[in-house]
Amino acid sequence: MSGMIRRLLALEGVNVVCQFRDDGSFVVGYGRMSQEDMVQMARFAHDYRRMAQGNADQLAIFSGMRGWTPPRGWIVRGGAQSLCGVGNLVCMVDSQGAPLNEILLELREVSHW
Amino acid sequence: MATLDALLGLPGAMAAFEFRGSGELLDHRIAYPDRINPTLLDLLAHMCAANLSIATLQARGWEQLTAMRGFYPVQAFTLIGFDWSVVVSGLNRERHKQSGQVSSLPPFLGVVMANERADYEAAFALLEGPEALP
Repeated sequence: MSGMIRRLLALEGVNVVCQFRDDGSFVVGYGRMSQEDMVQMARFAHDYRRMAQGNADQLAIFSGMRGWTPPRGWIVRGGAQSLCGVGNLVCMVDSQGAPLNEILLELREVSHW
Repeated sequence: MATLDALLGLPGAMAAFEFRGSGELLDHRIAYPDRINPTLLDLLAHMCAANLSIATLQARGWEQLTAMRGFYPVQAFTLIGFDWSVVVSGLNRERHKQSGQVSSLPPFLGVVMANERADYEAAFALLEGPEALP
């Protein structure tokens, strides 16, 4: 599994990748960041995932439209850096120039292992 | 400006919409009215506004905690649902703020796409490209 996660770093524009457990605790991370910051990033990603999932659940309930839940992932995009989360994985990627479609596909594949 | 009609031309696009920072739906285009209606888009716009607000809080906190830069202000948010995705951007608003035009900020823009055909890079390119400038 760690090899699969490390593989994500080979994708252009991917700077950091972290895996976390369902309770948000850090499992493993790779990239240009201290482990202390990776632990915080995993916690942030876990919290955001839960919040996004809760909001998607409410959207589905209020609208009655199927197909929103359970959500597969999320992207928060800043000017220089973006975070992409799928399952219990999160990547920090360059906002410009990164092959986002490929990164999301890889994240989805690796998250299933 | 990246028009709603142009957004509707993206692969897998099902609807495009504009909304205020408060989540209020301003305008929209719907390609599949049998699946999406204005009520759904109104709820979706409010959900996106909420998610952008929380992401902004976290980006602000993260930059203060780590001294890393490049996350704040949050420019866009994407939710990849089970079958559908929504991509929204406020980059045009940030451009207005940076140029000092804070009195009349443009709306957020968003597009709903079917996951099986969604092209997120194309969506961001359209939402954030030079043509998105007023």
